[in-house]
Amino acid sequence: MKSGEIYNGWKERKSQIEIRKNFTDAVMNQIYQYEREKRKPLFDGHQLIELISTRPLSKAAVITAGAVIGLVRITFVVYAFLWC
Amino acid sequence: MTQEIEVIRQVLEGDIESFGLIVERYEKQVVRIIKNMTNNAESCEDIAQDVFFTAYKKLAYFDPGRSNFSTWLFTIARNKSINAMKKKRPVSMGELPEKINPRNPYDKLAERELFELLDRELLALPRGQRRAFVLAEFEELSYEEIAQIEGTRIGTIKSRVNRAKKKLRSAIKGFGGDTI
Repeated sequence: MKSGEIYNGWKERKSQIEIRKNFTDAVMNQIYQYEREKRKPLFDGHQLIELISTRPLSKAAVITAGAVIGLVRITFVVYAFLWC
Repeated sequence: MTQEIEVIRQVLEGDIESFGLIVERYEKQVVRIIKNMTNNAESCEDIAQDVFFTAYKKLAYFDPGRSNFSTWLFTIARNKSINAMKKKRPVSMGELPEKINPRNPYDKLAERELFELLDRELLALPRGQRRAFVLAEFEELSYEEIAQIEGTRIGTIKSRVNRAKKKLRSAIKGFGGDTI
């Protein structure tokens, strides 16, 4: 065998390549995932409502916060009324 | 080429699905370039996936007036290969095989040994030489395209490819063959 043949045989072997069948799908899935992440809003209202409604502690925290804010507001109005 | 530009335009206008055509067209070539540049069969597909993902993200920066799409894509593949090789331990000359001197160079075993020898000689080439050689010999790109990918002059590429060929030729000679 001449070295030219050996070299060409080696080149041919280096040129043969098998890649996994779902390679394109894997790339496209990564791209779709990237696009989904990019389009996701920073503040998701639905997710917040779901979070509050499914956890009793979150519900209690929201009700307490609402009550405190309401109380502060009433105090402020009464104080302003008496001052006048 | 025009068809390719049209596909790229569609992708940039939001038709993500069309990018699959580009992946299908270049997947083998990109994986092969990475495999031959890094000599890493296990992770070459993962690196190639990263190449296509990067190409998708940077597609808006591709300028058809400056280069072919393939040249642009192979430049990304080249850069990712360099990064992958930085993470990998370089092969020292001490790991190269001893000179093989088979009694019968015609048999399959001798051929396999010679292929392995050439693989190791390729791996032992300086990285710039190996990249130029891989792109010129396995991908059959023009010197001009390789110079664009490597960001250097055509003369430098010619000399790198010639030096690489010379080293491989002497490896075959050392084995007992004639010239390439």
